[in-house]
Amino acid sequence: MILAIGLIPVLTTALAHADSNAENAQELNGKLVITGSSTVAPLVSEIAKRFEAQHSDVRIDVQMGGSSRGISDVKQKISDIGMVSRALKENEKNIMAFPIALDGITMIVHKSNPIDELKNKEIVDIYTGKITNWSEVGGNDAPITVVSKAEGRGTLDLFIKYFQIKSSDIKPHVIIGDNEQGVKTVSGNKNSIGFVSVGTAEYDAGIGIPIKPLPLNGVAASTENIRNGNFPLSRKLNLVTNAKPDGLAEIFIEFANSKEVADIIEEQYFVTTPE
Amino acid sequence: MREALKLKGIRMRNSKRERWPKVVVWSAAILISTVFFLILSSIVWHGIGQISWEFITAAPENAGRAGGIGPILVSTGLILGVAIAVALPIGLGTAILLSEFTPRESIFGTMVRRSLDILAGVPSIVFGLFGFVLFSNILGLGFSILSGGLTLACMVLPILIRSTEEGFRSATEEYRISAASVGLSKTTTIFRILLPAAAPGLSVGLILGVGRAIAETAALLYTSGYVDRMPTSLLDSGRALSIHIFDLSMNVAGGNEKAYASALVLVSILVVINIVSFYISNNWLRRRITII
Repeated sequence: MILAIGLIPVLTTALAHADSNAENAQELNGKLVITGSSTVAPLVSEIAKRFEAQHSDVRIDVQMGGSSRGISDVKQKISDIGMVSRALKENEKNIMAFPIALDGITMIVHKSNPIDELKNKEIVDIYTGKITNWSEVGGNDAPITVVSKAEGRGTLDLFIKYFQIKSSDIKPHVIIGDNEQGVKTVSGNKNSIGFVSVGTAEYDAGIGIPIKPLPLNGVAASTENIRNGNFPLSRKLNLVTNAKPDGLAEIFIEFANSKEVADIIEEQYFVTTPE
Repeated sequence: MREALKLKGIRMRNSKRERWPKVVVWSAAILISTVFFLILSSIVWHGIGQISWEFITAAPENAGRAGGIGPILVSTGLILGVAIAVALPIGLGTAILLSEFTPRESIFGTMVRRSLDILAGVPSIVFGLFGFVLFSNILGLGFSILSGGLTLACMVLPILIRSTEEGFRSATEEYRISAASVGLSKTTTIFRILLPAAAPGLSVGLILGVGRAIAETAALLYTSGYVDRMPTSLLDSGRALSIHIFDLSMNVAGGNEKAYASALVLVSILVVINIVSFYISNNWLRRRITII
């Protein structure tokens, strides 16, 4: 396909000097298509921009659409690299994953909600429809609005894996796609509960949006607690390829893993992977 | 005299009874205008402070939280240009076929019309998936402005054809009979007599079509894509303004302000397109009928 144009010269020139790519910057050329998780897409877009700035003949197109799409696109060779915000599944074992950053998932409620903590069992019961009123968990007498994520989203997969519930057992009132949509839904409904990326929640709570991230197992949901490994519901944000990456893809994945992009990762409210 | 008074009496009685429908109609109109005004003022209120030449021309930075929308405006324009360049000739041709060359009651015409009406109601995400499969995958255009524009053309065609056809039908038979009686050919009749008469219908179709296209998100997500770099060719992926707004408000924490600013730009473009096409249909195309 068109996407592969230029990979052959890259293979020959770039691979030979893969460890000193800053020096032969001029020799790199070609185009990479990266698709997948909307959580990861803004981060990879920024990394790609810096990569392009260093290698003027390289074009990297980042497209979003969810983790599952990231995997199916690399399988069908629609893209060179996929973005996946969850661990790979059993039937995806032939896919290679390269973690580039860490992120967590936190439960959020409206700021005015008197609840300060929920037990895991209570969260499960709320999401499976066994608890339908906040008074049952010590809150106001008000019906709970359950906000969940759409199928195929990495955030949902991680959530159901951690709480060990089947996605078909979840009884949501609202289904959302991306993180900010979750924050907007919960901040607009005083009796709702949802789950979003920790980075997003931390940033939005910080600028005064009326949401309250809830601690999990007594650990506060913060990027700090993800960095030190204490927060239980954390995940790796991965770049994935169908086979062992080569040429431009390999160099880009290496770049995305390097210290050169640490500031970008923090700027997008994620946590760098430990060395 | 008595007749006149009687008439007057009827009018007076009716005018009292007609007050209520009048109130209902007026309040509906006021309600619609209020909603429009509220949306507009909210966008202007949040967005106006961000608007500057810098914002219009610069490239987005930090996932769109900073910088501007320059490349996104260019991509949007190109996508729209492709869509119109493809949809206008096909749409006009089909409309002329339906109104001038097929009898209204014919099976063929009815079938085409029915299909178009159903197509017009198909959700845009379906067009998006169709475009993704046909243009991006099968035809190998990938994520590109071209495949986005073609997808939008498919989406806009039904509205464009139907309203242009109505425009042609609104020209009474007298136009056609008079033209035939002075010996004008069918081609001349269509392009010099009927087209100017159909211009309002065409321009309504075009406004609706462009409005639907420029505000489109779902159909473009999988076709023209998400890349916010300045496009260098029609085969590049380019992020449309509506996708930028969607991403900033739904996916980028802290993207709200720029989302409002982008929305303000989008609404302004829509207003300008409306005014221009209104002007064109009223002055430019209408004038041709008087030349003849």
